[in-house]
Amino acid sequence: MQTIILIISLLGMAMVIAVFMRAVGQNATTAGAPDSSSDTEGKRSRFIWGLLIFGVIVTAGSLWRWPHDVEASSPNISVNVTGGQWYWEIDKELLPVGKPIVFNVTTKDVNHGMGVYSADGQLLFQMQGMPGYVNQVRYVFEKPGIYRILCMEFCGVSHHEMASEFKVVTAG
Amino acid sequence: MNANNSVTPEPQTAAVKLAMLISGAVFLLMMLVGLLMRAAQGALIDIDPALFYQLMTAHGTGMVGTAGLSGAAIMWYFLGRHVHLTGWVFHVFLGLFLVGVVLILGSIFLGGFATGWTFLFPLPAHSGGQWEPGAAAAFLLGLVSIGVAFLLFYLEAGRAMISAYGSLTHALGWPLAFGGNTDNPPPPTIIASAAVTVFNGLGIVVGAAVLVVSLINLFLPEFAVDALLAKNMIFFFGHIFINAAIYMAVIAVYEIVPEYTGRPWKSSRIFALSWASILLFVMAVYPHHLLQDMVMPGWMLAMGQIVSYLSGIPLLAVTAFSLIVYLKGSGIRWNLGVALLVLGVAGWSVGSVPAILDGMISVNKVMHNTQWVPGHFHIYLLLGEVAMAFGFMAWLVRGKEAGLSGLDRLGVYTYIAGAGGFTLMFLISGAMSVPRRWAVHFDEWLLQDRIATGFAVLAILGTTIFVMRYIGGLVRSGRA
Repeated sequence: MQTIILIISLLGMAMVIAVFMRAVGQNATTAGAPDSSSDTEGKRSRFIWGLLIFGVIVTAGSLWRWPHDVEASSPNISVNVTGGQWYWEIDKELLPVGKPIVFNVTTKDVNHGMGVYSADGQLLFQMQGMPGYVNQVRYVFEKPGIYRILCMEFCGVSHHEMASEFKVVTAG
Repeated sequence: MNANNSVTPEPQTAAVKLAMLISGAVFLLMMLVGLLMRAAQGALIDIDPALFYQLMTAHGTGMVGTAGLSGAAIMWYFLGRHVHLTGWVFHVFLGLFLVGVVLILGSIFLGGFATGWTFLFPLPAHSGGQWEPGAAAAFLLGLVSIGVAFLLFYLEAGRAMISAYGSLTHALGWPLAFGGNTDNPPPPTIIASAAVTVFNGLGIVVGAAVLVVSLINLFLPEFAVDALLAKNMIFFFGHIFINAAIYMAVIAVYEIVPEYTGRPWKSSRIFALSWASILLFVMAVYPHHLLQDMVMPGWMLAMGQIVSYLSGIPLLAVTAFSLIVYLKGSGIRWNLGVALLVLGVAGWSVGSVPAILDGMISVNKVMHNTQWVPGHFHIYLLLGEVAMAFGFMAWLVRGKEAGLSGLDRLGVYTYIAGAGGFTLMFLISGAMSVPRRWAVHFDEWLLQDRIATGFAVLAILGTTIFVMRYIGGLVRSGRA
């Protein structure tokens, strides 16, 4: 997913750069009045409407199914995670593959961020942890293996050492 | 309604020049700190993690504060062309700002304070043995001092605009935006300044409240605010403050670019409407910093995503679009000032793309607090606000002199290459899931860190040229 996001972003950025480069290049042409105001405002109006319509489509597509939904058709397995300076406590260290798992995350002291990484170092999902609250996220692991938890919210001098791991195994 | 006739043009040039000199010097110094941090992450040099996080706190606070200072100096300078400002207010503003800087530097480098510039509650009171409550108090008081400085600044700006235009709504251009009243509308500088005065004034008040709570909590731990409420308040304040810096700096584009194109930047109805929407969006968008706090009301998170996207429209369809229209066929003769101002709007626009993507909840799940985040904000700060500030500085001391000298070209190209490569490495690292704000990196992350270090050197070389050119201009204008 991250690679796709990077490509989309680079393409969008390249488009903006190209528009500016073109304007800078065209500035050297014969000086005169800018585009006639009605033509310019027409272009601007179409641009704004285009952005709005595109935004509605993307918003509807990305929020139609709530990204933080923890409901599941099959029963969830709950895992309670507590963060503290600078450790993670997890009440289950073996989790099944292919089953919806709900992580309940809180902390004992300051804000932390629970980032769950695959064995090949890709961030799969994350959630904030903070004292007095329990954040929930649901995830289905598709592959067995060792998964790492890294802290994603700066929490003090050993923030970068605040790591843990759990194992996802094939059920049965 | 228009007070143009009653004011002295370009007041307090000396004070503004001093503020920009301080800004340029601190930008350069903080870039050197950033270089050290990237080199340490790339294992090119060895920095103890405790010192790394102190440098990180100084870098973030210094850059955000200096962006605010340079933006405020730009706003003050051009606002003074249209309304009568009380001179001593800017001197008190600068004085309080510097008092804040001294307190913050002391707290970090003498007291060991290191929470990052966001001082996320209750971290200031949980040092893990790294600093005493006194150091945390000095940092928070330093921020309070800077906040008071800005509040005073905005109170004076608001007073002057109300005095000249009758009310804030008139200064905001609302009769034009919502009533279509085209009778003598305020100039773009007034509309922008009025909007920033309202939203940054409110943001700073909220910031001051959470700073005071954090201060009390240091010495009376039983006096604790809800962590989620504090987080909301901090990000409301922080988001507004850094955006206000950019929105103040863009006033230089409105005022200076027309001198080169010969086409005045007009207060059209779409311009007034865009600033009315910016006023709303800047304050409503902050929940996009809390998209991974599932306990937040769902509607607020959805609002964070939607307003993130909407915020790009005034920037792209009004500011960037208008600049492009004014540039096309203008026959502009480039010099360092206008080149950097145009670069600033372009960089700001480019940076909005990865920022908007990160504002989507589903994307944020895998990009939040990775290096994607410093990637996008370094684009619209390094290539946006900072470029605009250096453009203003070049114009301030050299005027509209024609032509880019060889040294100017070297500075601009080196800066663009350095800042562009530096920020690209952040984005690539973010896509590779590298978390932000880590003092020590895994071996598989080192390559981008090392390449970024090289690009940082280039950006610093470009910046050094800008600062030296500014100092040279100051010296020449002092002799004249």
